[in-house]
Amino acid sequence: MPDQKQDSTEEVLIAAPVIALQEIGNIGGGLLREVGSIFWFIINTIEETIERVREGRVPFTASSFFRHAERAGVDSVPLVGLVSFFLGLTMALLTGYQLQRFGTERLVPGLVSIGFTRELGPLITGIMLAARIGAAFTAELGTMTVSEEVEAIEAMGIGPLRFLVAPRMLALFFLMPCLSTISNISAIFATSLISKAYFSIAFPYFIDLVRDSLLIRDLITGVMKSFLFGVLIAAIACYRGLNVKGGAAGVGSATTSSVVTAITVVIGVDTLYNVVYTNFFPT
Amino acid sequence: MNSQNSHMVALRDVTMEFEDKKVLDDLSLTVEPQERLVIMGQSGSGKSTILRLILGILRPHTGEVFFKQFEITRLKRRKLQQVRHDIGMVYQYSALLSSRNVRDNVALPLEELTTKSRKEIDKIVDQKLDLVGMKDARDLTPSELSGGMKKRVSLARALTMEPELVLFDEPTAGLDPVIASVIDELIISLTDNAKVTSIVVTHEMSSAFRVGTRMAMLYQGKIIEDADPETFKNSQNPVVAQFLSGSTEGPILEGSQDAIAKK
Repeated sequence: MPDQKQDSTEEVLIAAPVIALQEIGNIGGGLLREVGSIFWFIINTIEETIERVREGRVPFTASSFFRHAERAGVDSVPLVGLVSFFLGLTMALLTGYQLQRFGTERLVPGLVSIGFTRELGPLITGIMLAARIGAAFTAELGTMTVSEEVEAIEAMGIGPLRFLVAPRMLALFFLMPCLSTISNISAIFATSLISKAYFSIAFPYFIDLVRDSLLIRDLITGVMKSFLFGVLIAAIACYRGLNVKGGAAGVGSATTSSVVTAITVVIGVDTLYNVVYTNFFPT
Repeated sequence: MNSQNSHMVALRDVTMEFEDKKVLDDLSLTVEPQERLVIMGQSGSGKSTILRLILGILRPHTGEVFFKQFEITRLKRRKLQQVRHDIGMVYQYSALLSSRNVRDNVALPLEELTTKSRKEIDKIVDQKLDLVGMKDARDLTPSELSGGMKKRVSLARALTMEPELVLFDEPTAGLDPVIASVIDELIISLTDNAKVTSIVVTHEMSSAFRVGTRMAMLYQGKIIEDADPETFKNSQNPVVAQFLSGSTEGPILEGSQDAIAKK
């Protein structure tokens, strides 16, 4: 018996790398499949919407678009503004104290404004929208899928992607840059307060410093990213919602998965964007 | 393809599997215009799957599904959407859009698929709601309706596009006998007044025999009996006989007889 046990342990040890490799392969394969599915999901939504426009009909009602825009955009303003304000305060305070040791606290306004317009504004807004709106979209569409509402829409001959996904995607596409801008403004405002209170930088001088350091390309980069994040968050949320299986528990796990995926994708795409951007357009 | 033209619906050698479980096994079935076909069978036997195959929501693993001259399995998305305008579907749990009120639910296909004015749409919606006796519930939301009311609104919605074929998935399940009779009579009146062909999936006996002009029994993925109601009622097939009598003795529960005996 002990011999047999040793044998089986050895077999497992020998097989272990193979099993590990298989698992990695499975995870990698699954990931690629998901990326492909979401890509085609976006393409199909655009295609269905364009098909409808070509027929001379509006793809969805203005009220449907504005309802989502209000929920995703206007209602998110307090959250985005407040969180960015606190982040601006913290960032200005921490960097200011470090730079003060070298007598370069004048750099704080430029540092925070470049950091936010190019990077943190879109990123923080993306993460907050993924959690706040992505979850709502997934839960809503997931519940509709479970209660056969989506199938009923499809059975009537109405394209569910055009009817349900397109207004949500377009709302986030347009609202995301607006929210990023609000995030930037509240962070820069917070920095101006800290600069005045701790580092004696008066408001007009602060504005001059910000204007000197900000480049138009920083602003454009931030806005471009925001558009991209908006589409990705909406696409992931709607995709997860429409693919819910298994009742209420399915809606719950799809919502969790939607938020986790959207946040990971936003951060991942942001990194990729920066790598590409700094390589092709070095400062 | 021409041979299919006279049928309203034709399924030919259809096989359907869900995760290695064969739900439909080489199934063939035709439905003629203005017929009211009732498909009976145990829960989970694949009755609803047949309806979803006709709508093109599911695609069969093998075989062909025809609606009139169109081969549903081969249609492109756009064409399939157009073909679906001629098919109405009443879902088991109604599937009304919970965010819209009754009027908006019934008006949805008209708003999305036609270029009718709001006035015209309102007129049709009122007419359809009147037909199912739900005109007073126009402004209520689905959450304010009972099961029977939801079913009737769902039927009104299925009829707004004047379909040639209406599919009913358990139309009377869970309803009181009076409302069940109302629904049954509505289904019958559709054929009489609007020349609609109906496929009704149910296992409510009384309802099935009241509505059906033809009955089919689905068992283990195949149609084992297909006849007019009178012949069906007197079928010699032991599965059909057991199903109609509701007895625990017979081929349907063969595998689980021991478990029942123990109970």
